[in-house]
Amino acid sequence: MIQVENIRKEFELTKKQQKENNTTDKFALAVEDVSFECQPGRIFSLLGPNGAGKTTTLRMLAGILKPSQGSIKINGIDIQKQPNEAKKVIGFLTGSTGLYERLTANEIIAYFAKLYGVSDADFEQRKEHLYTLLGMHDFQDQRIGRLSTGMKQKVSIARTMIHDPDVVVFDEPTSGLDVITAENIIKLISDCKTQGKTVIFSSHIMSEVDLLCDDLAIIHKGTIIHRSSMQDFRDHMQTKNLTEEFIRIINENN
Amino acid sequence: MIFTIFKKELKDTLRDRRTIIAMIVVPILVFPLIIGLSTTVTKHFAEQQKEEVLKIALISDKTDNQFSQTLASIPDTLGPKELIFREDTLGLRKDINNDSIQLAFFIPTSFDDEQAENKQSTVLIFHKGVNVGNKARVQTYLSEIKNTFLTQRFERLNLDTQLIEPIAEQYIDFSSEKEVIGKLAGGVLPYLFIIFGFIGCMYPAIDLFTGEKERKTLETLLTTPVPRWKILIGKMLVIVLSGIAAASFSLLGLFLGLRVFNLVDNPAIMTVIDGILTPTFILSLFVLLLPLTIFFAGIMIPATIYAKSFKEAQSVLTPVNFVVILPTFIGFLPNIELDYTTAFIPIVNIVLATKEIVAGTIDPILMIISFMTMVAVAALSVLFSYKRFGKESNIIS
Repeated sequence: MIQVENIRKEFELTKKQQKENNTTDKFALAVEDVSFECQPGRIFSLLGPNGAGKTTTLRMLAGILKPSQGSIKINGIDIQKQPNEAKKVIGFLTGSTGLYERLTANEIIAYFAKLYGVSDADFEQRKEHLYTLLGMHDFQDQRIGRLSTGMKQKVSIARTMIHDPDVVVFDEPTSGLDVITAENIIKLISDCKTQGKTVIFSSHIMSEVDLLCDDLAIIHKGTIIHRSSMQDFRDHMQTKNLTEEFIRIINENN
Repeated sequence: MIFTIFKKELKDTLRDRRTIIAMIVVPILVFPLIIGLSTTVTKHFAEQQKEEVLKIALISDKTDNQFSQTLASIPDTLGPKELIFREDTLGLRKDINNDSIQLAFFIPTSFDDEQAENKQSTVLIFHKGVNVGNKARVQTYLSEIKNTFLTQRFERLNLDTQLIEPIAEQYIDFSSEKEVIGKLAGGVLPYLFIIFGFIGCMYPAIDLFTGEKERKTLETLLTTPVPRWKILIGKMLVIVLSGIAAASFSLLGLFLGLRVFNLVDNPAIMTVIDGILTPTFILSLFVLLLPLTIFFAGIMIPATIYAKSFKEAQSVLTPVNFVVILPTFIGFLPNIELDYTTAFIPIVNIVLATKEIVAGTIDPILMIISFMTMVAVAALSVLFSYKRFGKESNIIS
């Protein structure tokens, strides 16, 4: 479960950035007063245009960034007070996730399993399960640099899931991927729900949202402007489809 | 957890061709190549110079003057020569410039008379100053000729040669050969291992921080339940190891060049090298290298974590490289020694301490002060790295 309460995030601006943005402000506000809850067994979608604050919010959930204010609890653990305890139950995947090009798929998966403290017995079992599920056996000993984008993405998925996280954070996971590779991700997100995991993902592809989502929030200029279940969203639409409705809500709040 | 990160980063680093070249290949090959090449070229030219027949013009209206006869009697072991007699200097400049003759002596008509009267004669020597070898040869000939005339003059006057040498000096040197060579050449060692230690640290530092940022793997690593300080230390250990390896390989390359391939034909230097290669020397060197490379890693990490691309990291580190190399030149200055002031100056103390270790004259207290000073600055640099690594604007690209 994810509980986000009134989080705020501001970034310190360098003098160069102040000059570029033509401002004298020392800080730039990225996210303000954001609150939501994601339940286990449900998929929560965070929607918003580019630069709305989606990635910043998800990076705070994953413990990469610290909120300037507010609190985030992952399975009841406060990520600011016990970051490493909270991180143990989180899996984080982005569309632009990088992998170590000079290591093999096996080496990367083993490395992250160790970092997450997965026992040897659990590791072998989970690795076998994921490799079979994703069809990774054929390229497990090849260095990442020699793999195709699709293969790399499969390794990233296995890396994200090797510690069997209760909470999975996907930041624009299909961004820049081909249809077949994107399909693997969609299936993974769907499987996570079936397994009772808490899933949050950000996207601006409305067909994905329509297919997967149980709850959603729309973030714009750093604040949540809409929050509802997917069913409510569909029921109260004032336009023909999800994309148009999304644009309407954004425009209404400009 | 630190060991898991260290092991992975080491494996990753050792698969990077750039790092392997900077850490092993260049340090181990550069000195045998430089020493081998310079020795071969110098030897080749020295031998060529020795065997070259020097064409010397003797300009005088008398071909049988004593100067010409004495010059002709000088054996070829001091360099073969061909004497050409001329009556005037006509066309001399052209002949010397086109190298058909290499030098010319203008011997005055009065030469023999002046010598008989124990007077001084002036002999003009025409040559091209750019031909350093020819000038050295003519000085050898002139020294022989002068000695011959001086001996004849003293015999004629029935005088003892001691008359012109009132003091016969004899030096009794208490410095050992090791000390002399250590003080003179000991500055080379720190120069080598500081430069190679720095270069050895540089590529892994850029790859493990800027590279990870560029490849977006750092963000993934930061989502794992590993405290940031452990990630930092794991990575830093690889940088330190790489620096120590590069410095050690550069010294190994130097010793291989000198000892195994016998590239320098000087028994005194060989004896000193054999004397240096003791377990105490190697241990002392590592004691100094460890805080030095930690310090390098500590100053490189903030720069590489700040940089957004490999290119930017290189341009940020290049001026740092100059700042680090500058104190190594102090090792070549003869009158600066390790004392209670220089022992507190980072890098300078390492340079001077190494010189003293090579010479076998290191004061243990000064060695401890130097080591502790380096440990202190290394600790400060690690702390600084930790602060910069914790800064969000640095780690998120």
